[in-house]
Amino acid sequence: MEPNGILIYGELNEDLNVHNVVLELLTKARELKTKIWNQRIMVCIIGKRMNYEPIIQELGNHGANDVVLITDDRLAEYNNNYYGEIFTQIAKKYPPRIILIGATNQGKEIASYTATKLETGLTADCTNLDIGENNLLLSTRPTFGGQLTADILCKTFPQMATVQANTFKATTCENYVNAIFNWIDIDKIENHIEIINKIKKSQNAKDINTAQVIVCGGAGACKDNGFTLIYQLAQKLNGAVAGTREAFEKGYITKSQQIGQTGKTVAPKLYIAVGISGANQHLAGIKNSDKIIAINNDKNAPIFEHADVGIVGDLFKVLPDLIDNIDK
Amino acid sequence: MNIVVFVKQVPDTNDVKWTENNNIDRTNMESVINPADRQALEAALILKDRYGATISAIAMGPAKAVEVLKEAIAMGVDDAFLLCDSKFAGSDTCATSKVLAAAVKEKLPQTDLILFGQTAIDGETGQTGPSTATRLGLTSISNVIEIIEINEKSIIVNTETEKEKITLKTELPCALCINNYVFKPRVPRINGYIKAQDYDYKSYNIYDLNLTTDDAGVKGSPTYVSKVFKNKEGRNCKLLNYEDEGCIESLKKEILEQ
Repeated sequence: MEPNGILIYGELNEDLNVHNVVLELLTKARELKTKIWNQRIMVCIIGKRMNYEPIIQELGNHGANDVVLITDDRLAEYNNNYYGEIFTQIAKKYPPRIILIGATNQGKEIASYTATKLETGLTADCTNLDIGENNLLLSTRPTFGGQLTADILCKTFPQMATVQANTFKATTCENYVNAIFNWIDIDKIENHIEIINKIKKSQNAKDINTAQVIVCGGAGACKDNGFTLIYQLAQKLNGAVAGTREAFEKGYITKSQQIGQTGKTVAPKLYIAVGISGANQHLAGIKNSDKIIAINNDKNAPIFEHADVGIVGDLFKVLPDLIDNIDK
Repeated sequence: MNIVVFVKQVPDTNDVKWTENNNIDRTNMESVINPADRQALEAALILKDRYGATISAIAMGPAKAVEVLKEAIAMGVDDAFLLCDSKFAGSDTCATSKVLAAAVKEKLPQTDLILFGQTAIDGETGQTGPSTATRLGLTSISNVIEIIEINEKSIIVNTETEKEKITLKTELPCALCINNYVFKPRVPRINGYIKAQDYDYKSYNIYDLNLTTDDAGVKGSPTYVSKVFKNKEGRNCKLLNYEDEGCIESLKKEILEQ
């Protein structure tokens, strides 16, 4: 018999709320399950002992049929040795057909560990999920530096995929949720990791995950005062500043401001691309934006095919002109 | 201390070629060393400079992947060998990790530390390192930005997540995935290049690694590419020219409209 159901890793934020990517994956899972005979959706939560009732309700409101909880005070902080092994044990206990995990730092580690332990395939940073031939999970992702897009299937079970936050939109539904408290003998898990110190990074830049307006600079802006202009425009629009991989590698932005397959996926109301040619790698991270405006001096740049409004012109002339005019 | 660094040959060209099975055709492309793996090599060489170590670089790929090993030798690693077999072709992350784990188990069982680059610029899955470590029963630490201290038994490193900088300690042997940007790779010296030219690069096939044809290649890979295509799901773009009159006014309207 083929395995049943969709299992999702229920990552929690530091403030002990559910990570938004979990709700987004649940919404997608609801769509997938209708195509594979309404299989159940299970979320696995790992964490310290506390009241999970609001979290269980929230997961239920997004489509979780079962929430399985493994709680212990030794699990208060993420640790790959514990979390990876616990999630694997849950996947063995309730063998799912599909496993979906947010492509966060911890999600990626847990996914790699679990896929290897279960001897199954894993497709990373998917930009879409669907059900394909033979009712298999069809995972779509940019490949080869984002020049091409590939549909990937997996011939073993469970079929595993990781997906970045903001790739799908979370919506709620009417649903009844069932909580399962599980016990795993944590003493039997070998732990080799000792956390000595944690420092919160200072977040100077406005968070691009939640910003309504984003001004993003690419290779074309990585010279002279390109990024100064981008910061000025963002400030005028009360928006956040972001950049492409090249902008990060050249030091104009921090990693948390990088958009694209190796950075973040964003979904603002307005996205302004400045000096970005438009590799798939980058496009994958912006396609959920409501409105895309692109400024580029090459009228043949691929970014224009993915924008709602395009300005063909030199960004070092367009931006100062725009900044001067925006308040008028 | 024995250190293994895995290095990958990645394409240098924008002109990617594919085989009939929709896998990347690695035999017909210009090869360079994956940038993140170069950082991993640098991290290993820093440890060698500081504590003394024997470093082995291992690459998996076609015969021409020896080019990346030459660069590793030129930079200063002590030994370098290739995992080369037509039966490895088409391996996904799962199969690749089996081959890499077998190389450590069969050829370098005394390894204390395994280093990977965090991601490869061609596949960008970031899974090969953690997966290989898991197969070897080792803890893997991701996004390492600094190696603070190492002794016979343990290692202390700094890692970075999106919101935090974490200092942690783990036992040896273990695997580290080195952050793609912090270790500035050294430029090889002339005698490094000379050594690299003359070096006798060993090559191991699937049987040398005690694997079967079910373990690697297309056969050993659970995932497969069913279709590759160019993105064409664009938007209808209203294109304006900056030189045209009223362009900035229209742009401003579009911006403030949302």
